[in-house]
Amino acid sequence: MMKGKKKFIAGTAAVAEAAMLANVDVISAYPIRPYTGLMVDLSKKVADGKLDAEFVHADSEHSQLGIVHGASASGARTMTGSAGVGVTYAFETYSPISGGRCPVQMVVADRTLDPPGDFGSEHSDVLCARDQGWIMGWAETPQEAFDNTLIYYRLGEDQRVSLPQFNCQDGYFVSHIPGEVVVPEKSQVAEFLPPYKLAKPLDPRKPYGHGPQIFSDQGPALQLQRAIVMNRAKEIIPEVVSDFNKVFGRKYDSYIENYNPNDADVCLFVNGAHSQTARYAIANLKAQGVNVALCRIRFVRPWATEEIAEVLSQYKAVGVVETNNSFGVAGQAGVFTPEVAATLYSLPENKRPMLMSFMAGLSGEVIRLNDFYFMAKKLVQAADRKKIEKPVYWIGFEEN
Amino acid sequence: MSDRTVTLEPIASIAKAPLQEQYVSGHRTCAGCGPALAYRLIAKAAGKNTIFIGPTGCMYVANTSYMCVPWTVPWMHAQITNGGSIASGIEAAYQVMMRKGKYDGDFPNIIVMAGDGGTADIGLQAISGAMYRNHDILVISYDNESYANTGIQASSMTPYGSATSFTPPGITVPEGEKFWPKDITAMIYYGHPMVKYVAQASIAYPIDLMNKVRKALNKKGSAFIHVQTACPKGWRFDSSKTVDVAKLAIQTGMWVNYEIDEGKKTLDHVPTKREPVEKYLKTQGRFNHLRPEDVQKIQQFVDGKVAEA
Repeated sequence: MMKGKKKFIAGTAAVAEAAMLANVDVISAYPIRPYTGLMVDLSKKVADGKLDAEFVHADSEHSQLGIVHGASASGARTMTGSAGVGVTYAFETYSPISGGRCPVQMVVADRTLDPPGDFGSEHSDVLCARDQGWIMGWAETPQEAFDNTLIYYRLGEDQRVSLPQFNCQDGYFVSHIPGEVVVPEKSQVAEFLPPYKLAKPLDPRKPYGHGPQIFSDQGPALQLQRAIVMNRAKEIIPEVVSDFNKVFGRKYDSYIENYNPNDADVCLFVNGAHSQTARYAIANLKAQGVNVALCRIRFVRPWATEEIAEVLSQYKAVGVVETNNSFGVAGQAGVFTPEVAATLYSLPENKRPMLMSFMAGLSGEVIRLNDFYFMAKKLVQAADRKKIEKPVYWIGFEEN
Repeated sequence: MSDRTVTLEPIASIAKAPLQEQYVSGHRTCAGCGPALAYRLIAKAAGKNTIFIGPTGCMYVANTSYMCVPWTVPWMHAQITNGGSIASGIEAAYQVMMRKGKYDGDFPNIIVMAGDGGTADIGLQAISGAMYRNHDILVISYDNESYANTGIQASSMTPYGSATSFTPPGITVPEGEKFWPKDITAMIYYGHPMVKYVAQASIAYPIDLMNKVRKALNKKGSAFIHVQTACPKGWRFDSSKTVDVAKLAIQTGMWVNYEIDEGKKTLDHVPTKREPVEKYLKTQGRFNHLRPEDVQKIQQFVDGKVAEA
C-alpha cells in the first residue's frame, strides 16, 4: 500500500529523507554542485537531533570515501556523495571499497567533467567508475531517488552480495527539480530493510586482517569472487524489487522499464531522467501514428544482459541515447553503445536489431522533444530502408 | 565523545613492559628493520583493545605478504593516501555505534601506522583533516626517511644530502637530495589547534616510545607521534647496527626526542655533549658521497634546529 506522507521535494532532498529512515550511522560530506543539497539537508537533520549519525565534513572527496570505507568496515551504515570531478578525485578508493566488500552508499547527482567548469548534468563522471565493482543505477524522479536509496542498501548489504552502490540521479534535472515524493512510514522501512550487519567487522574482540597484500597467484580468486557477487546481485534484484513493491505499493520493473513496447518497430535506449521527455515525445508521435518504444535501464551495474537482449530483440532498430562521452570508444559514441552491441551479439541474426547512437544530453543540455522526434525519424528511416546511413548523430550538430 | 574505561599506565622499565606481544612473527621485514621494531613496541604498549590502520608502505607490504597478517589485533589496509580518513571513519563508527547500542565493547585504540610518505607527502591531507576534526585516534609516523618499499626514493622527510634512487649524486647535483626535510611534528602541532599531544621518539629508547604511545592513547582526541626508524636497506648500514645508528642520531642532534603535552614542551635524551654530525653520516652509505662543505651545511642546519628546540 502507498502509505506515508506526500512531500514536494527535489532529488537530493528525497535521498536525505530516505537516509534518515534508513537510520544511517556515518555520513561524510564535501561540497560540489549539484549534489551538495543532500549534505546540507543531512547536516541539519543531525544538528536538529532528528538523525543520530556522525556527520563528518571531510577535506576532499578522496577523504570522504576513506571515511565511509573505515566506518563501513567497522559495521556502520554509511552515506557519502559527490558529483563531476569530485567523483573522479576519489577514484583511487572505489576498488579498495568494493574489494573490501564494504557496502558503502555513494549518492551521485551527476555533472559534466572539467573542462570547462560546467555544472550541467552528464553521465560521464560516475560512468568512469562502472568497472570498479560497485552497483550503479540512475533514478528518473525524486521518488525513484528516494526508493533507490532503500533498494540499494538492501541489495548492497545483503551478505550474499556485500558491495558498495552508486545511487545516481541526473544533476539539476532530478537533484534540483522538485517532484511529489511519498515518504513512507518507519515501520515499512523496517519491514523492508534489515539492520546492517557485516560478516567480519573490525572488532578487537574478534580480530581479522582487512586487505592484506597478496601475490599474483592469489589474486585471480579474489577477482572471480567480486565478479560472482556482482552477478549474484543481478540474480537478487528481482527479489529485492518485488519485496519493495509489496511493502511500499510501487510498480517498479526489476531491470528495465519498457514503455510503449507493442507495435513499435524501433526503440530508444535511455539511461536516467531524459526518459521523461522521451515518453512525452513517444506519446506525441503515437498520436501522429508513429510508433516508438522506450527502454530505460534501472541498473547500469550489474548490467542485465539477457533481459536487455530480450527486450531489444522485439525491434528492428535501436537508438542508444548516450548522455556521456567516451572519446575514441568502439562505435565512436559513448560507453553504452558497445555495451548494447555486446548485449545484442548473442541474439540470432534475424532477431538482432540495427544499432544507432545519439550523442545528446551532454554538458547539461536539455534533450528537447524535437531532438527525440529527430532520433525517432532516423530510427524509423533505418527500419524502413533496412539500412543505417549514419551510425552516430551528434544532436544539435546535424542537418534534418 | 565515548570515554575509555581503561587508562594505560606508564611502563617503569623494560622488565615491567607487558610480556604479551600484539605484533608477532610471520612478517617478512628485512633483518634489522627499524619500523618492525617500532611496530612491536607500539603494539605491545597499546595492547589488545586496538585497531591498526596500515596505509601502503613497508609496514603493509612486508608485514602482510601472502594474505596473512602478524597482528593479534584487527588491522586494516588503507591506501597510502588515506590512513587519516580511514581512521576517522572507524572512530566515527565506534562513536555512533556505541551511542546507538550497536557495540558493547570498550572504545578501541585506533592507531594509524603511516610511513613518512604516507604522513608528510601523499597522506598529509587526510591526516591533517583527521587532526583538524580531532577524531580520537593516534597517528604514528614511522619515519625511515624514504620510500623504502619501492626501492628507496626521496620523500619530503628524506634528509638533505641523502643518496636515494630519485636523488642520486652526480656531477650536476653532487649533494644528492637538495631539500631539507619537513618538520611534520611541528606542522601537526602548530597547525591543528585541537591536537593536545605530539611527540618525537626513537627505537633506541623503547621505554620512552612505549610511554609516549600510552600517553597519546590516554588523551581524548587526536594525537601524533613521529618515530625515527633506522632502515639498514635504505640508509645502507649493517643490519646489526640499527639501534646504534638510532642512538647516534640522538647523540649528534640529527634526531631530537621530545613531547608537547597540552602546550608544555619537554626535551628527552638530550646529550650532555653533542657529537659532530659527521660521526653519524659516516655510519651510512647514503651519505658516502658528501663533500666537506655538504657536511658543514648539515652541521649548521642541525645546530640551528637544536638551538630552537
